Amino acid sequence: MQVYLPIAEMSVNALLLLGIGFGVGWLSGLFGVGGGFLLTPLLILIGIPSPVAVASGANQTLGASVSGLIAQWRRGNVDWRMGLVLVAGGFTGSALGVQFFVLLRRLGQVDLAVALFYIVVLGIVGVLMVMESLRAIRRRRRAVPTRLHEHTWMHGLPFKMRFRKSRLYISVIPPLLVGLSIGMLSAIMGVGGGFMLVPAMIYVLGIPTSVVIGTSLFQVVFVSANVTLLQALQTGAVDIVLVLLLLAGGVAGAQFGAAMGTRLRGEETRALLGLLVLAVAGSLLWELVRTPESLFVIAPLP
Amino acid sequence: MTRTATGLALLFGALLAAAAMVPLPLRAQPAPPPARPAAPAAPGQAAPAAPALAVPALVAELSQRRVEITTGFTGADILVFGSTERLIGENSDEVLVVASGPPQPMVVRRKVKILGFWVNGPSATFPQVPGFYAISGTRPAWQMLPEDVRQSGRLGLDALPLRALGAQGPAFRAALLELKKNAGLWVEDTVPVEVSGGRLFHVRLPLPATVTPGAYRVEVLLVRDRRIVARQGLDFEVVRVGAAAEISTIASTEPMLYGLVCIALAAFAGWFGSVVFRRS
Repeated sequence: MQVYLPIAEMSVNALLLLGIGFGVGWLSGLFGVGGGFLLTPLLILIGIPSPVAVASGANQTLGASVSGLIAQWRRGNVDWRMGLVLVAGGFTGSALGVQFFVLLRRLGQVDLAVALFYIVVLGIVGVLMVMESLRAIRRRRRAVPTRLHEHTWMHGLPFKMRFRKSRLYISVIPPLLVGLSIGMLSAIMGVGGGFMLVPAMIYVLGIPTSVVIGTSLFQVVFVSANVTLLQALQTGAVDIVLVLLLLAGGVAGAQFGAAMGTRLRGEETRALLGLLVLAVAGSLLWELVRTPESLFVIAPLP
Repeated sequence: MTRTATGLALLFGALLAAAAMVPLPLRAQPAPPPARPAAPAAPGQAAPAAPALAVPALVAELSQRRVEITTGFTGADILVFGSTERLIGENSDEVLVVASGPPQPMVVRRKVKILGFWVNGPSATFPQVPGFYAISGTRPAWQMLPEDVRQSGRLGLDALPLRALGAQGPAFRAALLELKKNAGLWVEDTVPVEVSGGRLFHVRLPLPATVTPGAYRVEVLLVRDRRIVARQGLDFEVVRVGAAAEISTIASTEPMLYGLVCIALAAFAGWFGSVVFRRS
């Protein structure tokens, strides 16, 4: 069944979009991330123009994360204070990111920039996740007690604030910076940034795992809403038909994934997610390195 | 689809009957108008090159004057059909059909290898490129017409005036041709103009799903002795209708509203889905 996407100005198979939505939704439910980092590359792969894939990916992430946020909020796993600090940084970052995106579009380098950002960010995050979770699995076997979090130079920064739910008393500067950089990447890559935010919150900020997912979803929902609005205003590339089709598959998939995710242990889940992230990075890298079928590309003048 | 087909059959019947019944040499009346009441291109204008004849040398019409891009749009066919005064054949009358869509500026970028990566390198901008172009004849145009006529009349993909700004070189032009052809947006002689009953001709021009909305023009040319003796211009438009049209209009005219609606819809869909599919 073909459906015409009004903003992408092309027609695609609706079942394919529903399927992609379901698959990505299932994984996102399983791992507790928005799944944007899988979705945007997949959309580009099936021929959706990069700007539309990025802008719509952000909008889809918003929808996909709302249900997760509601579920986490019911269980009381959201640190509102930390979330608001992250969002404040995220808004600034996403505004900067969209400006950068507009510039890239004018230079004709959106495809390259999006791919490179994906490869670098996913590569680093994937390696870190796999390494950390393997270490955690080994440590669990030896059953060595660990501290809540390490104290580093970060804890000497000013503007300290108490985050009760996260059991932290830290400066607001690190969370603001984390939010800012994730917001920026979110605008350029069309992702919510959960897959980067979760590790950053755990390893950089030292937030306990129990509130990480709920709090990161809080940030993702607001920042992706901001990216959607800015993309709609500045590039006009948000395709609502595409988004709704992806969401229809995605929300169903997410619930199945979440049900399955509860049966997996944290370390194994993170190791699997890390491998998946690495696989996406690898395939994007291959696309950039292999000799293209056509040495030329054409596009309407933006 | 079926309705269009029935309409076509009727139109064809009418033309066939008209061509068969009317005594050709001394007919005072213009050719019978096509069944569609509001045909803007009057047949009378069709024969400027042959003023001695009272009979139009060429009558042509389109199957539809409006192609609608709906949410289920997967491309369309435009049927161009008509009849000629004389028999169509290699040493007699020949028909050439050219269709072109709204011009749009295009950028062609060459990929270059930098540090092992293929990146977009030098680019050429073509400011006036027809978004759609199709040409078809009873024979290929280069066999029918002298080269200078074909070039000046822009009859054929190699006769399109593609002038580039920025990086130059024939490779960019060739790439533009190649990629446009691959996308089905530029079509040259993929199907010939079919002739039936000696004087009736028709050809189907395929519009792919990626056609841009706008005003399109079909020129039907009558070629005799390697000269264009009559021509008729027919216009049609490609328009977005229904939800697709609404969405793209709102997105470009009211981006703020559109963005907010997108946010609200996505959030609602996410929430609604979690309620419907909740499994715990």
